[in-house]
Amino acid sequence: MKRVWTLAGKDLLETRRDRLSLLFTLVMPLVFTAFFGLLFGGGSDRLPLAVWSGDTGPAATQLLGALERSDVVAVHRMTKADAEKAVDDGRQAAALEVPAGFSGDLAAGKPVTLTVVGVSGSTGVQAVQTEVSSLAGRQAVLERAAQAAAAAAGKPIGQPQTSVANLTAAALAMARPLAQQSLAHPVATLRVVQAGAAAGQVPTGFDLSSPGMLINFIMFSLLTAGIALIQERQNFTLLRLMTTQVHRWELIAGKVAGMFILTFVQQIILIAAGQFLFGVDYLRDPAALLLMMIATSLVASTLGLLLASLLKSEQALIATVVITSMAVSALSGAWFPLEITGPAFRFVGHLLPTAWILDGLRGIILRGFGVADVMPALVVALAWSAGLFVLAVWRFRLTD
Amino acid sequence: MSIVEVQELRKQYDPPKGVLAVDGVSFDIAQGEIFSLLGPNGAGKSTTISMLSCLLHPSGGDALVDGHSVVTDSQAVKEAIGVVPQDIALYPDMSARENLVFWGKMYGLAGGELQTRVDEVLELITLVDRQKDRLEKFSGGMKRRVNIGVALLHKPRVLYLDEPTVGIDPQSRRSILDGILALRDQGMTILYTTHYMAEAQELSDRIGIVDHGAMIAVGTNDELVKIVGEEAHVDLRVDHYLDGMVERWAQVLGVTKAMIDEDHAVLLVQDANEVLPRLFEAAAAAGSRITEVNVTEPNLEMVFLHLTGRALRE
Repeated sequence: MKRVWTLAGKDLLETRRDRLSLLFTLVMPLVFTAFFGLLFGGGSDRLPLAVWSGDTGPAATQLLGALERSDVVAVHRMTKADAEKAVDDGRQAAALEVPAGFSGDLAAGKPVTLTVVGVSGSTGVQAVQTEVSSLAGRQAVLERAAQAAAAAAGKPIGQPQTSVANLTAAALAMARPLAQQSLAHPVATLRVVQAGAAAGQVPTGFDLSSPGMLINFIMFSLLTAGIALIQERQNFTLLRLMTTQVHRWELIAGKVAGMFILTFVQQIILIAAGQFLFGVDYLRDPAALLLMMIATSLVASTLGLLLASLLKSEQALIATVVITSMAVSALSGAWFPLEITGPAFRFVGHLLPTAWILDGLRGIILRGFGVADVMPALVVALAWSAGLFVLAVWRFRLTD
Repeated sequence: MSIVEVQELRKQYDPPKGVLAVDGVSFDIAQGEIFSLLGPNGAGKSTTISMLSCLLHPSGGDALVDGHSVVTDSQAVKEAIGVVPQDIALYPDMSARENLVFWGKMYGLAGGELQTRVDEVLELITLVDRQKDRLEKFSGGMKRRVNIGVALLHKPRVLYLDEPTVGIDPQSRRSILDGILALRDQGMTILYTTHYMAEAQELSDRIGIVDHGAMIAVGTNDELVKIVGEEAHVDLRVDHYLDGMVERWAQVLGVTKAMIDEDHAVLLVQDANEVLPRLFEAAAAAGSRITEVNVTEPNLEMVFLHLTGRALRE
């Protein structure tokens, strides 16, 4: 095994001395993370709240209007299914259901229930709960006051007409006990429903861009490692290595180990920058994060080995890596979340291990994914890596 | 006692219709001997070295290196040999010392032994002062020296040198040849391939001449030269009608072979002093005039010419 580490160490030394590789592995990803992070919006002060309403009555309309004017929540109206998925995916802090008959029941003085879907106890949901409760309570009081006013104004004709002041006084006299009753026994109650592992965190632009650019530029770092391997084949050092006591498996393992370590170190630096520079919460579950990093480096190193084994020239490798990394990044959701794409695009994207890894990384950042939650991504990445490795070993050549 | 024994070694690429690069080559090398494989490019020298280095699996035959078969015991063979490839197989963005340390580890050296051997080899290749410089800054000759130094790190019992002087200046070539002779004097066994006749003549204890994958002659320089007997080698240039002249000269008494080599004629003659006037006469009779004459005493070039009908550099 000593020779494997010596081979890997030599590759890392050469990479460290290559300024171009420093640009591609560290500088460019940080620049692009910042760029896309700012492009995605850099975060909002208001909590995203998915809302679906089964009622179009006046009370429901006014409640939704009040929520839309709120400084606490940002309302996104959608269907029930989309709202629940958005909460599940961590794109919405919570979802609110306004039930059918809400306005009628409220007008009739019947108790109504608003349902908030989210993770009970999470900071985001608590804030949503408070805001909805406050606005709904106010709406209920208004409704009672309006009823009182209507009752006062609707006294039978024929009775002596009174002044506006008298009417107001009569309305208030009727409204006060109703309002007191509302406050004592809220008409609109809230029910919080558990929603998957959603943590109700508001995604910032950097939450989206940082893992995306990580995957994107891990792919680009294959350029450095791949070119080094092609150059070794062209200048006959690979062949010469086989005249020493090095076994073929040690040579291949050394190359894979070099690429693995390179991409792993790259990830450590980019994740540290994401955590401390861009405020992306990668460290919510370090064990899960470690598994995703291993998965990423395994896929990258085996893919790098395969490309360098298949391709003969540096030019061919550069063209292939650029096209591959662009295509893989786009399909995997590195540039934009796959949730905003159609089902066909999402399906194709999830044929690739990188889409699963990105799901895992974003799940850790936004939804507090643990080891069990990232297992599917790890399994897919391991399967892909095994396949790529077998192909690479089969096609591995010492000379052109 | 032979340290290398090659027995009917054969290599055919993509059999059964592929190129037969080495066709049943046999030879042996004694301990402490420099043995050269001399032949033109494409003769099968590098393929033979590749099989003896366990890089290529022979299609037939076998070779024993330090008692180990290249077919069945490649790891033991690799421990016994040091290989200097024709190309400079090194890492240009690493220093001379870093290259030597890396390759030393690949040969299984470690710790103090590794550092000692690196120091000794740097001394041997006279690059102690430049050991920290990256190879990309080195001249071709200096790179060649490092290329050789790498193969010496683990003190191999047999050193293979595959055309180590290709493409370098005369001064560097001289330095490398002197270094090889010094290694032989220290008791190292060397297998050397070249297409330069002068190198083979100067370095070798014995020489194997190869052509088209076959060994066509083996022996010491003197033994090989005797193949052509006392024949002298005559190069002739004429002002015109070269093609016709070669045919006429082939008929001249005392000429044993006549052929065209690029822009001049090459003749093997029994006695140059007697034959030369006849050659001038024949040229004059054909309306040509000889403009240049070079007479060379019997050498390996002539042996090759004699055995193959072609010049060595073809």
